[in-house]
Amino acid sequence: MATESVIGQWVRREDGERKVLGRAVYAGDLRVPNLLHARLVLSPYPHATITRVDTEAAKAVPGVVGVYTAEDLPLVPPDGLTRSRDPLARDRVFFEGQPVVAVVAESEAIAEDAAGLVEIDYEPREALSDPVAAMENTHVQVHDSEALGLRDDAGAHTSVSEHTQQLPMPPNGTTAERYQRGDIDRGFAEADAVVEHTYNTSWVYQGYLEPFSVVAIPDNAGNIDVHSSTQGAFFVREEVAKGLGISERRVNVRTAEVGGAFGAKYAVFDPLVAALAWDTKRPVHLTLTRTEDFLAGVPAPGITMRVKTGARKDGTLTALQATIIVDTGSFPGGTAGIVALLLGGTYRFPHMRIDAYEILTNKPGCGAYRAPGAPQACFAIEGQIEELARTFGLDPFEMRLKNAVVEGDSMPGEETWPRIGSREVLEALRNHPAWQNRHQKGPGEGVGIAFGGWPGGTQPASALCRLNDDGTLTVVVGSSDISGTRSGFALLAADAFGVGYDAVEVADAPTDTAPFAGAAGGSKITFTVGSAVRQAAEEARRQVLAIAADELEAAPDDLEIVDGQVRVKGVPSSAVSLERIAALTTGFGSKHGPILGSGRAAPDDAAPGFIAHLARVRVDDETGKVEVLDYVAVQDVGRAINPAGIVGQIRGGVAQGVGWALLESVVYDESAHLRTSSFMDYALPSALEVPQIDPVLVEVPYPSGPLGGRGVGEPPVVGGAAAIANAIYDATGIRPTDLPMTPERVLQALSQRSS
Amino acid sequence: MIPAAFDYAAPASLEEAMALLAGHPDDAKLIAGGHSLLPLMKLRLATPQLLVDLGKIPDLRYIEEKGDHLAIGAMTTHYQVSISEAVRRRAGLLADSAAVVGDMQVRNRGTVGGSLAHADPASDLPAAALALGAQLVARSRSGERVIAAADFFQDIWTSALEPEEILTEVRIPFQDGKAQAYEKFRQRAGDWAIVGAAVSVARRNGTIDRADVILTNVGPTPVRARAVESALQGQPVSPEVVRAAAEQAADGLDPAPELKASPDYKRHLARVLTRRALERALQIS
Repeated sequence: MATESVIGQWVRREDGERKVLGRAVYAGDLRVPNLLHARLVLSPYPHATITRVDTEAAKAVPGVVGVYTAEDLPLVPPDGLTRSRDPLARDRVFFEGQPVVAVVAESEAIAEDAAGLVEIDYEPREALSDPVAAMENTHVQVHDSEALGLRDDAGAHTSVSEHTQQLPMPPNGTTAERYQRGDIDRGFAEADAVVEHTYNTSWVYQGYLEPFSVVAIPDNAGNIDVHSSTQGAFFVREEVAKGLGISERRVNVRTAEVGGAFGAKYAVFDPLVAALAWDTKRPVHLTLTRTEDFLAGVPAPGITMRVKTGARKDGTLTALQATIIVDTGSFPGGTAGIVALLLGGTYRFPHMRIDAYEILTNKPGCGAYRAPGAPQACFAIEGQIEELARTFGLDPFEMRLKNAVVEGDSMPGEETWPRIGSREVLEALRNHPAWQNRHQKGPGEGVGIAFGGWPGGTQPASALCRLNDDGTLTVVVGSSDISGTRSGFALLAADAFGVGYDAVEVADAPTDTAPFAGAAGGSKITFTVGSAVRQAAEEARRQVLAIAADELEAAPDDLEIVDGQVRVKGVPSSAVSLERIAALTTGFGSKHGPILGSGRAAPDDAAPGFIAHLARVRVDDETGKVEVLDYVAVQDVGRAINPAGIVGQIRGGVAQGVGWALLESVVYDESAHLRTSSFMDYALPSALEVPQIDPVLVEVPYPSGPLGGRGVGEPPVVGGAAAIANAIYDATGIRPTDLPMTPERVLQALSQRSS
Repeated sequence: MIPAAFDYAAPASLEEAMALLAGHPDDAKLIAGGHSLLPLMKLRLATPQLLVDLGKIPDLRYIEEKGDHLAIGAMTTHYQVSISEAVRRRAGLLADSAAVVGDMQVRNRGTVGGSLAHADPASDLPAAALALGAQLVARSRSGERVIAAADFFQDIWTSALEPEEILTEVRIPFQDGKAQAYEKFRQRAGDWAIVGAAVSVARRNGTIDRADVILTNVGPTPVRARAVESALQGQPVSPEVVRAAAEQAADGLDPAPELKASPDYKRHLARVLTRRALERALQIS
């Protein structure tokens, strides 16, 4: 190709400047005529029967337009338990912070005043907080099994497939599955050493800057526009349409600028706000306060993992036995399967038995948070591997390289791993100076590593590519940009078409006109939409070359696009500009159709991304405080389309990993009351807690990805807690098993070590 | 996070502010930096009818050396205190404490008077004020009184100020020659103290003449570690003396459990931080 490829150029995120300068317009910033504002009344009880709701005083406040309970909302009752389409509590509340009443008024202040006047009587009930206790509790049920839609025969011990079985459903359980392979007893009998621990990880909050925010605008023809801070416009469209009982084409979702999502923002409050707008026939705005977002958002679940691992003296793993208990809060849907996949699928275990449970408690329904389940699984399995390596006196890289999965190895279920860069990331980290120089360390310092992966996701996607009058391209997509994907699309289109990065603009279209794209989750937007964008740009290029061939009286194969012109190869004077082509396809009476390339992609396999991380820490053995001094994050990215974007993803993921490791915990007390309802109590890392980070990109191309690219968004968070825990282990000899590793916990472990 | 409705006044003089307070004895609140009050109002835990903003009163921001003491206007910010040459020279402990209050944004807006009047046991300045033997000047329309720091902090978020009184000035005796330091333990930069220790040691001929050791966030008010003080008094300055004295820092302490720290952990931190503060102040380790 004559124009030098733009792939691999470090380009800035196109949304960066406006966000940094405060010019980005978020959903909650939208002001339209006749806008109403909603405020919610939240349950102060984690579990209670509602005996009376009196909204009269609230309704009497001047400026109040409506006060809504569940019965007042024009929403179609969902079949099962679906929080988003049944957004206000009915006769019972299941978690502290569950919305019970919505007040709509001419201003937010009026709505807030009126919300304070709503009277609700509750009869408190016993609340379940500990999932391990909940799965043995036969007298308190978060939901009865009828509401859950569980079949009576769910208790049977049934085989789903060769390696997967249903287990008897425990009380308050929604998932009970066994993954097994080989003969677990034989596996442990063959082991020279066995390690066994119970790991507990905390609930964590996604910590996006922008809380949940929605504006819904109905028209007078039965349509509704929804401006939402969401990862998935088409998913919001589906939820709102189902909720209102109208066709999806009546709902037009615009993904406003998203101020962080990290897995939380699919469609939680959209049907509620749409229903309020539908009923009042006016635009309605709702933005949660931070405290409401902590109470009524969708934080990620706490997970308990009992893990036992055996290995031979030479480091060969023989067996893994694990029980996973995911606390899903008061709504079903958790990550036990992913935890099982990564606990049992990161290394080759000839003999394995993993029991995975999802258990209901009286907490908000859990949501996803960047690589849901993976940081937790990595924390547990990497702790085991590290301990086994030390037991045998083996180099930690040798131990991992000997057992790490490669292409063709089995996952815990029926699947096998496709082409992955597992060994490549380990080799790259082993050669890094931070590992080579690990023995040069000051007092209290330690170095730890972690290895892990993320399976990735896939979903069909499409895109359009148009030629503009000035010779630039507009790429149209329907995906939400939560991570800089627009910049990657521009590079992919520029490369495929043959123009510079600056000549491509990416437009996020609303759902009524956008080409379909799935939600931005599973590290799949560049992977799926990117392929469609590339195809669309290639098609646009073919159309342009065909017209130019006509104009220049040359064969399309003899043409090239250079510096904004289509010219005959080797004859620069024989050329036609892209502006001219555009004019020839749009002018009155023109004989050529407008340039419009389209692309469709449905990759049948997700592209896993593997990582190897290293942390250097200093432990204050008098206070237990851990400081992360240095960090290396190696990642297989397939093909680095925009290295600047990837490095940004890595830095952000590592920062979150530091938070998970040392600081962050959504704390519920034994009655399931929330103790951390602000950023004062919920500690996110600040810039001063985040270490120097060295991102290292390894490229093991993935065949069906765009130019070999893999999803890069989620893997960077996977190794944080594990690497830091192993570094603490190296520094002190203590084996952390609970997240976060707070100063007090570390100090307790240190004092037990010395006693 | 929308406060209940309130009236707002920004008087241009202290006299005007005192008149406003006298007219609203039960339902007015003074606002300085606002870091503590505004969050409470947004949560509707505080619902004053009238906010009296002291920010427009020009003569409450100053740091002056007067005879035997430093006089600091109540509206002087933590940042101004932390960089003041006079404070560093005359009352090093105050500069040391003010430099670790909150984060840069808080220090640029938060005030010495506001922090002391709020009487939060987790704040850094109350412990320093006690260790420095500060005198706090309160004015109202009925006159002026001077309250010793030791009498000022009465309970959690409760000071000796009467509703119509305004804290106008903090007076700190010159500390020349004393060895001082403030050690603060927190999980993150910018956080409140989990525990803090303010120490001030006067020496004569290599012997400790008097030690003031005050702990942050281990009780409803700043707590004087009397056992440490008496263990130091009359002793020579040595690592062993400091170590042994600091071991008594938690004697009699009964801190409330917090999300981030159990009472036992706080007692442990009190001992560690007291020793570290003494070691840093006395330049031994």
